[in-house]
Amino acid sequence: MITSKGLTRKFGSKTAVDNVDLTLEAGHVYAMLGPNGSGKTTWMKMAAGLMKPTSGEILFEGTPIGINSRRSVAYMSTEPYFYTWMSVRDVGQYYQDFFDDFSMEKYRILLKDMELEEGMKTRTLSSGMMAKLKIAVTLARNARVYMLDEPFNGIDLLARDEIRRCILQEAGPEKLLILSSHLVEEMEAIADRAVFIRQGKLIEVRDLQEMRETDQVSMADRYREIYGHAEG
Amino acid sequence: MIKLMKYELRKTWFTKLILLGITAVAEIIYLVGLYTDREGTMSAGITLLFVLAIGGLLVIGLESVLVLHRDMNTKQGYMLFMTPNSCYKILGAKVLECGISILLTGAFFFALGLLDLSLLFARQGMLNTLWQQIQSFLSSLTIYGRPLVINVSTISALCFSILTGWISTITTAYLADVISSSLLNGRKFNGLISFLLFVALSWGFSELNTLVTHGITDTVTMLWIYGVFELVIATVMYFVTAHLMDKYLSV
Repeated sequence: MITSKGLTRKFGSKTAVDNVDLTLEAGHVYAMLGPNGSGKTTWMKMAAGLMKPTSGEILFEGTPIGINSRRSVAYMSTEPYFYTWMSVRDVGQYYQDFFDDFSMEKYRILLKDMELEEGMKTRTLSSGMMAKLKIAVTLARNARVYMLDEPFNGIDLLARDEIRRCILQEAGPEKLLILSSHLVEEMEAIADRAVFIRQGKLIEVRDLQEMRETDQVSMADRYREIYGHAEG
Repeated sequence: MIKLMKYELRKTWFTKLILLGITAVAEIIYLVGLYTDREGTMSAGITLLFVLAIGGLLVIGLESVLVLHRDMNTKQGYMLFMTPNSCYKILGAKVLECGISILLTGAFFFALGLLDLSLLFARQGMLNTLWQQIQSFLSSLTIYGRPLVINVSTISALCFSILTGWISTITTAYLADVISSSLLNGRKFNGLISFLLFVALSWGFSELNTLVTHGITDTVTMLWIYGVFELVIATVMYFVTAHLMDKYLSV
């Protein structure tokens, strides 16, 4: 569904994503893992069409990322990105204006689940409330691909359970979910595949069930093996 | 496109409201001066309205460039660039919203000026004398060394050339800003380089326009040709800028 071929992104002399060949298929929930600065966010931004690669290409169903892919890809950045003049209601209206797959009804249900009110101004939201709003408006789209960058950042334990439930509701055979997080244990309960990235390079893509059966290791164990070794 | 324009307007709405509020205050000052026969107060009102008319057109253009800059250089830009719209459409909405705002603001201040002038004539009961004085003053004006004859044709040509001239300047600023945020992104002195590029391009276009209108003796014809030339420049700037955004811009 999403394929990157030789994908590279440089920022001056630093290479954030280095020649990554990666194919992510529908029907799976991928955990994109790696320490800070490993290139997860940069890869996602290129997949969302917000960032241009330095070289290589990234395709959605065989065609380069662009206007058409943006219709089908729901991307949630880790940073707050709503206009400061917006209320929670305005955010929903904005998405409804631009995305055909957005459901205002679903948005209102998610807002209720997240205990957010439509009249709230985005500039007054706490980081936790902002994180919930980003999740609500992104999941209110009936997109084919969801890319959530650090969806649990700044969110308390109870809200995390709610978000996990909402994310899993979106999973299906036609859909692709890509999540990045530092909370590896949290991701283990959601994902069925893991993408390990280190210093911009793809280390491996693993089926978690298979990994548990053949290697007798959990995702967290494998994370420690890869990155603990690198850091040590 | 309409939806994009709606949000472009929303981003600049606050400034426009402030402009409208100050204009209302200036108008009240003028009217108080007029109806209490205080010339000083009336003059203050007129001066303020005149400054607001010119300043308003400048502010609307400058804010449009600032909004584009913010969209390209802050996380808020994700809101715009993750929507399924091409860079041509996104930039087109910005140019159109800005152009229409400038046109409407110009028309608003022109209408307000006419209204205030009419009120002045009616109040002072010297309509003909005042009008002759104004005509005498205007006939002494020149534009590019050519006599300025005030009539509908001249006013239309003047408004058209001012509008397209300002839009062409704004689109040139868009180009300089997009180059700074894309091709020169992350490089030292990118802001300074893009500013110098803007100055150089504006100077070059101005020289080119002087060449194009050289030898035209009729003021109105000269103004129309000047305006059309600026419109062509604005169109070229728009396409070049959108192309650069499409190919090289990362937000």
